[in-house]
Amino acid sequence: MIPLYGFLEGDTLGLLVLAGAEDTAAELAAKLQQAARTRRAERRAMKLIYRGRVVDPSETVARAKMQPLDRFDVVEA
Amino acid sequence: MDRDEWLHLARKLDWDFSYVSEDDVFPEVPSGRPRLPHSAWRDWDEPYKTTFAEYVANQHEKNAAVEAVRAALGSAEDARKLPPGWLNALKLHAATLPLAEFAAVIGNLRGARFGRDSAWRTTANFGALDEFRHTEIPLLLMQELVKVHPQFDWTHRFYHSNDWVAIAGRHLVDELLLGSNAIEFAIATNFVFETGFTNLQFVGLSSLAHGVGDRMFETMVNSIQSDEARHSQIGGPVLAKVAVHDRAYAQYLLDKWFWRSWLLFAVVTGFSMDYLTPVEHRTRSFKEFMQEWVIDQFLRSLKEYGLERPWYWDEFMTALDHYHHMVYASAYTYRASVWFDFVLPGPVERTWLRQKYPASWSEYEPVWERITDCWRQADPGNDFAVHGTAIVGFCDLCQLVLCNGTPRHNSATVLDRGGRRYIFCSEPCRWIFEQEPERYASHKDVVKRVLAGEAPANLIALVRQYFGLTYDDWGKDAFGGVYPWLHREPR
Repeated sequence: MIPLYGFLEGDTLGLLVLAGAEDTAAELAAKLQQAARTRRAERRAMKLIYRGRVVDPSETVARAKMQPLDRFDVVEA
Repeated sequence: MDRDEWLHLARKLDWDFSYVSEDDVFPEVPSGRPRLPHSAWRDWDEPYKTTFAEYVANQHEKNAAVEAVRAALGSAEDARKLPPGWLNALKLHAATLPLAEFAAVIGNLRGARFGRDSAWRTTANFGALDEFRHTEIPLLLMQELVKVHPQFDWTHRFYHSNDWVAIAGRHLVDELLLGSNAIEFAIATNFVFETGFTNLQFVGLSSLAHGVGDRMFETMVNSIQSDEARHSQIGGPVLAKVAVHDRAYAQYLLDKWFWRSWLLFAVVTGFSMDYLTPVEHRTRSFKEFMQEWVIDQFLRSLKEYGLERPWYWDEFMTALDHYHHMVYASAYTYRASVWFDFVLPGPVERTWLRQKYPASWSEYEPVWERITDCWRQADPGNDFAVHGTAIVGFCDLCQLVLCNGTPRHNSATVLDRGGRRYIFCSEPCRWIFEQEPERYASHKDVVKRVLAGEAPANLIALVRQYFGLTYDDWGKDAFGGVYPWLHREPR
């Protein structure tokens, strides 16, 4: 598992999310939304941003070259 | 000889050394820099002068006044009459205050030994005695309240625990009060922390205590404030001297300690003023108190010493509208990780917050709506239905949660250094780290401890085994999620 810091737009804090190397960006975004659900209702049209780039929803964590303790953001599409 | 003439002689007691060097007596490590000969410090002068006899007489009188109010109004029965939200503001202060005051004894004693002029050392001696008093009074008054709720036991336990707030507290206090040299202590603690920020507690919070009818807390903080007003006066003359001889260093210390102090006060005082004090007793918002009692005075002082406002001033002004709201909403949904209870802001409170924070509140409204919706679907008292379960991120400098910036854009920033990865809640925290990485780099935040296997990854295990909380004393919603305005759907 790869520990990553996730920041959901509209939420009030950063969370640690454990990602699998083969998780897709869509799955990772869903994990973060799930982790933040007490403060933000889950929304459908979201995109994941990593190092200033919108990651294709089907792209995996490994392919996006996400490293342990990297930051990613999930924002409204 | 009149008093003032005599006192001037009684404060200026240094002679020139013949048999040892100044470096032997005042080494740089505990005395601080810039390195100046004593002749440069000889005109050091504090505005608030007192004799030992006056000090003892005044302190006796002040203690007698506290004792009198304690005898009349300091019982557990009296505390039970206070609003539940306010009682939790007391628990927050009770835990963070007394042992930090004892650490301040050590800091003042360093000034009493290594301050560069005898008048400075004299005042620092009184400061150390003051801080003893500030340790004992809250320990005495708040420990009594364990009869009201076991969470008051954290008055003594807090700094001995690995609770995340205690880790952040120790990270600050160890450096600010225990580890800093006499010059840094005088500027950081006496000038920035005590002159700059404690008015917020002692004037602002005291007026709120009066409003809710907590005469005991009001008397305690007023009594403490009169001491702080005296010994904090060490800071200005030390800063003035450093600003003349090493302006860049003076500016650095101000910038560093203003930010670090701000984060602590935003949590402790911001929570109390804008959330835990019942809305009908609030006179001003935390931001308004900050503007009146901290910012105006701080900017005037900077001008007086020919210094600039901190480089992150725009970020700080934005944070006034956001930071404590970010942390409170986050901590509400992780309340089992702390030792006090939280109040859910209802429609009346949120209307008040919207009026006080027109630039930012619209970003928090959806968060509180969501939390309220979760309570609507949960049974009363089922706190874990309205609680986070993921591990939270922590800043590698301040050790607080990653809550800086705004809900729209969290300002956390990542740094790679020496083969390690660090994350900071804000640019100022990162900047402070990068100025003295050798001081901070080896410290592990809670996440790093979890990843190193030193702390459990499961939140309940983390709270119980590592933070030292049990069901009886971990934080809950102060009303069990039962509010007259919160209607549950029939199920």
